[in-house]
Amino acid sequence: MLKISHLSKTFDSLKAVDDISFEVKEGEIFGFLGPNGAGKTTTISMISGLLKPDSGQIMIDNQDLETHLRKIKKIMGVVPQDMAFYEELSAKENLLFWGKLQGVSRKTLAERIQYYLDETGLLGRENDPLKKYSGGMKRRINLILGLIHQPSLLLLDEPTLGIDVQTKLNIYEVIREAASRGTTILYTTHNLQEAEELCHRIAIMDQGKILAVGTLSELIQIVGEKDIVLITGKFDVDQGQKIIARFKEAAVISLREEKLVISLEASKTMTGLLEEFFKEGISIDEVSIKHPNLESVFLKLTGKELRE
Amino acid sequence: MIIGFLLIPFVFTLIFAAVFGGAGEDETLPRISVITVDKDRSLLSRFFLSSLSQGELKKLLSLKEAEEPEGRKLLDRGKASALLIIPENFGDRLWQGQEVEILLLKNPAEQFLPQIVQEICDTASLVFSSLLSVFSEELDIIKGFVDHDQFSDENVSMISIKIKSKIEGISKYVFPPVISITERTKADEEKEEASTLNVSSYILPAIAVMFLLFICNVVFEDILREKESGPLLRMTVSPLKLSEFIWSKILTSAAIGVICTLALIVLGRLIFSIRWGNPPLVFAVILCLNIMMAGFIAFLYSFVRTERQAGAVLSTVILVMALLGGSMIPVDNFPSHIQNFSKLTLNYWGIQAFHKTMLQDPIGEIIPILLGMIFVGLLLSGLGSHFLNKSLRKGLLK
Repeated sequence: MLKISHLSKTFDSLKAVDDISFEVKEGEIFGFLGPNGAGKTTTISMISGLLKPDSGQIMIDNQDLETHLRKIKKIMGVVPQDMAFYEELSAKENLLFWGKLQGVSRKTLAERIQYYLDETGLLGRENDPLKKYSGGMKRRINLILGLIHQPSLLLLDEPTLGIDVQTKLNIYEVIREAASRGTTILYTTHNLQEAEELCHRIAIMDQGKILAVGTLSELIQIVGEKDIVLITGKFDVDQGQKIIARFKEAAVISLREEKLVISLEASKTMTGLLEEFFKEGISIDEVSIKHPNLESVFLKLTGKELRE
Repeated sequence: MIIGFLLIPFVFTLIFAAVFGGAGEDETLPRISVITVDKDRSLLSRFFLSSLSQGELKKLLSLKEAEEPEGRKLLDRGKASALLIIPENFGDRLWQGQEVEILLLKNPAEQFLPQIVQEICDTASLVFSSLLSVFSEELDIIKGFVDHDQFSDENVSMISIKIKSKIEGISKYVFPPVISITERTKADEEKEEASTLNVSSYILPAIAVMFLLFICNVVFEDILREKESGPLLRMTVSPLKLSEFIWSKILTSAAIGVICTLALIVLGRLIFSIRWGNPPLVFAVILCLNIMMAGFIAFLYSFVRTERQAGAVLSTVILVMALLGGSMIPVDNFPSHIQNFSKLTLNYWGIQAFHKTMLQDPIGEIIPILLGMIFVGLLLSGLGSHFLNKSLRKGLLK
């Protein structure tokens, strides 16, 4: 459904997206995981036609986006990170307006409005102006606006940002339901749990590059059985290297002053490792052990935690 | 907001018409109150005062006789526009051919009305002096009759014949009068109205042109609001092209402008009796003017990024253009070098087009203005659409 080949975009001297390629199958929920500034939104902006790539190709439904932009826009839905509707209008008025703009007939539109409002628990509030809605309710309307024309491809840019758990779960439900109907979903997030819970496949992105793509179990295989250990304390790079060299089973992921990320089997080696630090007179501030999961995969691939 | 902008030109025109023009049906002046003090009470003083309440002057002046202290008190209280005091011995001095002075005290709180009284008194004094000179011989005889109480039928007949023969003698110089006054009614004036512009006919189009810019501005402000609050982003990822969206705004702005101008035209006709000229031509002016205005505002919006910027930049540009272009002060009042700058403003050409249509100038003079307005409008719309497209797209990316 969606095929990205060697896509790049540079802003001034910043390479926001650096030669990325991936494919998303029909009906798949594809997660785009990365910290802020990783290049997720730039990628979505290029796929939605908002931004022109410097190089590369975007194929949607076997059509080149560059040459079939208008046609592709009709089968594509976008849920931007920020709210994108008329706050003075009611939910119903907004849905009617945007639905008609997408070419949905009035009759179909009336049925879909009823359906989606019901599914998101907003039925009964459809005539209230959106400015009176809570943040979570607005998020749900923002999602429905991207779905109202039942697109083949839905691009979601952090759709659950800053909302309560209940609304989040409702949004997941609506997304899963859309995917089950055959809608291909590209979902950007910096929330590991969300990606684990919702996405069929995940691409891990950092500094404009895709570091790994796969299902959750495929990604976890990258770290194997080993845990990812993060140690922070008063040490420099040389001291860190010296200590780690004593443990052949430990592989350094990232080492800089006062911060070390390694992969090892923590249950076997951790006590000895810490003892070595203490012997060297190094005080340790924090030790964190990530067992094989998406978070440890992310840490292994990027050398940093997602919240950094 | 648009209705507010539509009403403002009317309020302005009403104020201007009330101050400078005769917008009301009743255009008669109020009678000017004058207090007279006759200290002489002679035949000639009464004759002089009665001359001020004859014919047309009776409609203009309201004379009230009083004693001097009371008269001064009334003037101090602002109850009259002027106080006219005839001194003692006024008659005697005139009989003797000596100069006399009449005292006219004017109400300092009033500007125009006391001046009118002064002009009337000056004229009356001049006429009165002339009459005394022409009939000096006859007046001497009459004075002799008065002094010696000799009003016999024979004497009255004799003096009557003398006066009659003198009037006949001077009549060939006086009649027919060299200067005549023609009275005209409002209906007569209206017949010639097409060849001149009254205050409302000038003010309403001039201010309307300025407010059309504000109306276009309101429509374009929405673009920035839509950009800042999100709908524009969704619009951009919909099948609609951003350039189509911008052109729809330009057309909406022009269409709203046309509707507002038509409303102003109709109301101007109904309320101020403005004769706008040939209807199809007036419509062409409205259309071309609004295309030009919408294009201009679209062009300006390609340089602003936020609503606040737009508010500051647009208001300044619109007001400067209004000032230079004749929306606030008629361009004819400017020095010639400033008038050259006026021609660079949209307001100038809009006002020119309206005034030429009102004055029923040859169509050959109006068409080039209309073509110029369309050209400028389309050019600025094209440039505005291109640059606005770029700046909006840039602004949508975070």
